[in-house]
Amino acid sequence: MAKKPVSQKFKSRLSNGLIYAILIIISIVWLFPFFCLVCESFRCESSHQVGYIIPKVWGFDNYINLFTKTSFLIWYKNTFIIALFVSVIQTLMVLTMSYTLSRLRFKGRKGLMNIMLILGMFPGFITMIVLYKILSGMGLTGANAVPGLILVYTASSAMGYYVSKGFFDTISRSLDEAARIDGATRFQVLTKIIMPLSKPIVIYTILTAFMGPWGDFMFAKYIAHNTTSGMNVAVGLQNMISTPSSLTANYTMFCAGGVLVAVPITILFMSLQRYYVEGVTGGAVKG
Amino acid sequence: MSEYKEKHMNLFKDLSDLDYLRLNKIQALIYDLIRVIKAVPKWFLNLFVLAAKYIKKFFTFIKDEFVDIYTTFIYGDWKTKLSFFVMGFGSIARGQIVRGLLFLVFQVVFIVYMCFGGVHWLSKFKTLGDTYATTVYDPKLDTYVRVDGDDSFKIMLYSLMTIIFIIAFVWTWRTNVKQNKIMEDILKSGRKLKSPKEDVESLLDEQFHKTLLAVPLTGIMTFTVFPIIFMILVAFTNYDAAHDGYSNLFTWVGMTNFNALFNMNVGSDNLSFAFGEILSWTLIWAFFATFTNYFLGMFVAIMINKKGIKLKKLWRGILVLTSAVPQFVSLLYISKMFANNGLANGLLMELGIIKDISQLIKFWGVKDIARTMVIIINIWIGIPYVMLICTGILMNIPKDLYESAQIDGATVFQQYTKITMPYMLFVTGPYLLTSFIGNINNFNVIYLLTGGGPGNPKLLTSGGGAGDTDLLITWLFNLTTGAESKYYLAAVIGIMIFVVVSSISVFVYNVMPSTRNEEDYS
Amino acid sequence: MAKVKLTNVKKVYDNNVVAVQDFNLDIADKEFVVFVGPSGCGKSTTLRMVAGLEEITEGTIEIDDVVVNDLQPKDRDISMVFQNYALYPHLTVFENIAFPLRLRKTPQAEVFEKVTEAAEILGITEYLNRKPRALSGGQRQRVAIGRAMVRHPKVFLMDEPLSNLDAKLRNQMRAEIILLRKRIDTTFIYVTHDQTEAMTLGDRIVIMKDGYIMQVGTPDEVFDHPDNLFVAEFIGAPKMNTFKTNLVFEDGQYYVTPFGAKILVDGEKGEQLKKQKTKPQEIILGVRPEHMVLAKENEGFKCEIMVNEMMGSELHLHVSTNDDTHLIVRIPTIGLTQKQRQDLQAGHKFNVTFQGKVMHFFDVETEENLLK
Repeated sequence: MAKKPVSQKFKSRLSNGLIYAILIIISIVWLFPFFCLVCESFRCESSHQVGYIIPKVWGFDNYINLFTKTSFLIWYKNTFIIALFVSVIQTLMVLTMSYTLSRLRFKGRKGLMNIMLILGMFPGFITMIVLYKILSGMGLTGANAVPGLILVYTASSAMGYYVSKGFFDTISRSLDEAARIDGATRFQVLTKIIMPLSKPIVIYTILTAFMGPWGDFMFAKYIAHNTTSGMNVAVGLQNMISTPSSLTANYTMFCAGGVLVAVPITILFMSLQRYYVEGVTGGAVKG
Repeated sequence: MSEYKEKHMNLFKDLSDLDYLRLNKIQALIYDLIRVIKAVPKWFLNLFVLAAKYIKKFFTFIKDEFVDIYTTFIYGDWKTKLSFFVMGFGSIARGQIVRGLLFLVFQVVFIVYMCFGGVHWLSKFKTLGDTYATTVYDPKLDTYVRVDGDDSFKIMLYSLMTIIFIIAFVWTWRTNVKQNKIMEDILKSGRKLKSPKEDVESLLDEQFHKTLLAVPLTGIMTFTVFPIIFMILVAFTNYDAAHDGYSNLFTWVGMTNFNALFNMNVGSDNLSFAFGEILSWTLIWAFFATFTNYFLGMFVAIMINKKGIKLKKLWRGILVLTSAVPQFVSLLYISKMFANNGLANGLLMELGIIKDISQLIKFWGVKDIARTMVIIINIWIGIPYVMLICTGILMNIPKDLYESAQIDGATVFQQYTKITMPYMLFVTGPYLLTSFIGNINNFNVIYLLTGGGPGNPKLLTSGGGAGDTDLLITWLFNLTTGAESKYYLAAVIGIMIFVVVSSISVFVYNVMPSTRNEEDYS
Repeated sequence: MAKVKLTNVKKVYDNNVVAVQDFNLDIADKEFVVFVGPSGCGKSTTLRMVAGLEEITEGTIEIDDVVVNDLQPKDRDISMVFQNYALYPHLTVFENIAFPLRLRKTPQAEVFEKVTEAAEILGITEYLNRKPRALSGGQRQRVAIGRAMVRHPKVFLMDEPLSNLDAKLRNQMRAEIILLRKRIDTTFIYVTHDQTEAMTLGDRIVIMKDGYIMQVGTPDEVFDHPDNLFVAEFIGAPKMNTFKTNLVFEDGQYYVTPFGAKILVDGEKGEQLKKQKTKPQEIILGVRPEHMVLAKENEGFKCEIMVNEMMGSELHLHVSTNDDTHLIVRIPTIGLTQKQRQDLQAGHKFNVTFQGKVMHFFDVETEENLLK
């Protein structure tokens, strides 16, 4: 007896149903921590960790205390300023490096790429030992951590050229050649031909450059070196709950701080995610 | 007769392509394995041959350079000969004033620097200082006042700068000589040299790369190259919080630090034991972190992308949302969630799974639980990102591959295993390597979740204090920032991380991707 | 309009691959020169050196008696049409064509005039406001030509411009390029791998192989008097029949002895051989398919038809000789009787011969033409 055609449809409906179930579970699991985070940030009856999620007393106390009792505003301001400067400077650094490596041919180009590859194999943090001494000698640490950090983040940022170079590589080189024959200098080729075609990668680079400082802990902590006014949000919030006693006192404020950091960044990322995906899949994955 | 031959085919010999096709799956596997093993010694040999080739290339290069310098001098005109001593003279004399001046200024600056500082610092480089600071009684202030001695740190810093300056000078001088030769050649063949104006204008054209790279390269040289060289030097000293150069001198100790790292002596101060433990956990962690995320992320991407699944944007959006939140927020919060008196334990208590305080699960307190937890949490962090990448690629697989397979009679499952998976693996292969290396140095996840703990007494004594989830990079961080910072040890570990990462990279690039597959998907 | 002179031009790449060997050529003002040859022969590389897109390793290139080795492309007053059009995707057709003018800060009125003039000649006026991605291949090619001609350059370079078009379009564009040439009347250097394009378009053809120039000449010259075996086989379709045979001297006359036959070398070529006192030797003989004729029973040599291609006005017979050499014989159908047409099928055996004036003699080792 021939197989009934229904079984194929049924199989597919069954597997779809299974997939939906898995996806729902995944969604719950992934969103759960944030749900808890937000809830706990509104908890007013206690400031230490508890074993339940839904607050008994709702209120904005934690948020208010965050601004009045801690230097959260300062940390936020610091991080924002750093991110702003970094997004501009780093973009310039990265794009010039990747453009040069992608389209300009010069002696030592391959050597340069190899050297940067090898340099990248050292953990970036070991540079801090020397740099901290030098920067503190120049007064760019502690309370003045902001300019110091900007310098640290941006100075070597050109080493992260891989994704944007991958993007530039996809633009046909005969466009450059046609423009040069038409009479353009290499500078004009960059400004009149390549840049108008590079909107996705420029936005991607600015976006990633802006988001980076919000999440950095290692370098920010080292350069701020226990001076509260020089910390960024990551270091500041971590500092708030770093000892058992401070944890008991500040936990819910920490949650509030987390929410205040997460929300704007998330909105920014979601609205520009298309460019992020384009950049990442267009460049990074080609290796 | 042929059956007998088939069953007892010698798998140790190299087979022709046709004979290879005769093998069944198991035989083919064994054959491939034997070939890989046979290739290893050949691969080592190739490495030596390659190294020898590069060394030969290097010496030939040096020889050629000297010959070139010699001939440039002998056959050059008087302008060229003078340029050997007064840099930039040839350029100025031939009309390229801007270039010439740059050379000249550089030479003057160099000479001045060497006289007024360079020589002084270099002279102390060998010992890194021998004059300790002392205190002297100052009658005016009626107290003991410090008289500065040598500062080892400064000595090392400035000596290194001087050495680099010297190398830069030699290179610039060589460029100066080379340019003289080029200028002579151009003039001899009847062509003209660029005027100063044209030379500057070409900075936006032929020499545009110099213009564009000037600032980025300066940044990299100052903030990466120089510190790394400095740190490599530190690894051969005893620079730590107690011997920081100012309050107390530090000096060269040769290979002592490296010996300590590899010396298997069992003692209370067992550095090599700690290193071994932390290194092995770092590699295990990197392996699990990378591959769990990779395959699970791909699986999720394939699931969502399946025909017939609605609300694709919603599912992807939820996952992407979680990766948009800054990592430190998520990690710190989850870290506290699983604390002994945190939310997780609290919920378990409410649900009755745990009856009383003594049954609290020490998520971060027990070695194996902590290790498993970091891997699991890392999955939570990493899947959205992998899913994003895989989704982008999935949508680019040519549809006619699937259509052709359908006509050939492949089931849905077969299509996944024989088309989707190989394609994905091929395109994202390089990403695996970068991801693996990234996880070796994944500071945030470990430090923010566990701080490296739980503390391990056996690891604590080896200086810097290390725990069961510490990676090399978190150990390095503690060694740099702790109360008893041991910079020399941090430097050594930094170098070891480099060795590990570069070995893996070289290994993967040379041994794994067979060139067979390269062209299949272009 | 300008003359172009290449002297001892050589191109060596970083990995010591020599792409172009000792290239010497004088191109007269307003001449249409075609570089033709198989892939990798160096034709595009030479063109790009003239354009300034590749560095010249050795030798000089002069445009109008000015050495341009060190000049940037923009200072050489040349234009180029690329194989893949290289149109700026973010600009409209109008702006694409106007681009070179805008770089030179040409006033808007003049820009408008020149662009619309070029667009009219090329028949693309209605596309001026569209972007390249909305155009077909042929239209894009025209825009590329428009951009190149709008500046009235000294030299007009074309790098395989028709290679990306389908066969029918290619034929059409070839005719248009011939018309274009009449209108622009400047010096053209055209690169292609298609010998038909070379023969129809060029005033002179430069045939290249592996970086060397194999022959320079007018289409007639390279067709009737190929300097060597490579040129002989490259020019002309279907390709010239070439086979080893012997040149013998008997009774004061030269004969060739292919496949058991003995054919007299009569006419001018016979006289030339006698004058040069060419030694009898083993040679490679070349005879074009269209020059082989049906022979009587006792003339020429016998061969058997393997495949018979009916091309309409011609029959292309793929034949095999007594020692299994494969030749192609082209017979116009118009001269055939009904019986002959029926006979000339696969399996049929018949005789083939040819006259002295269509024979080409090549040295077995050097592959050079014995009668230069």
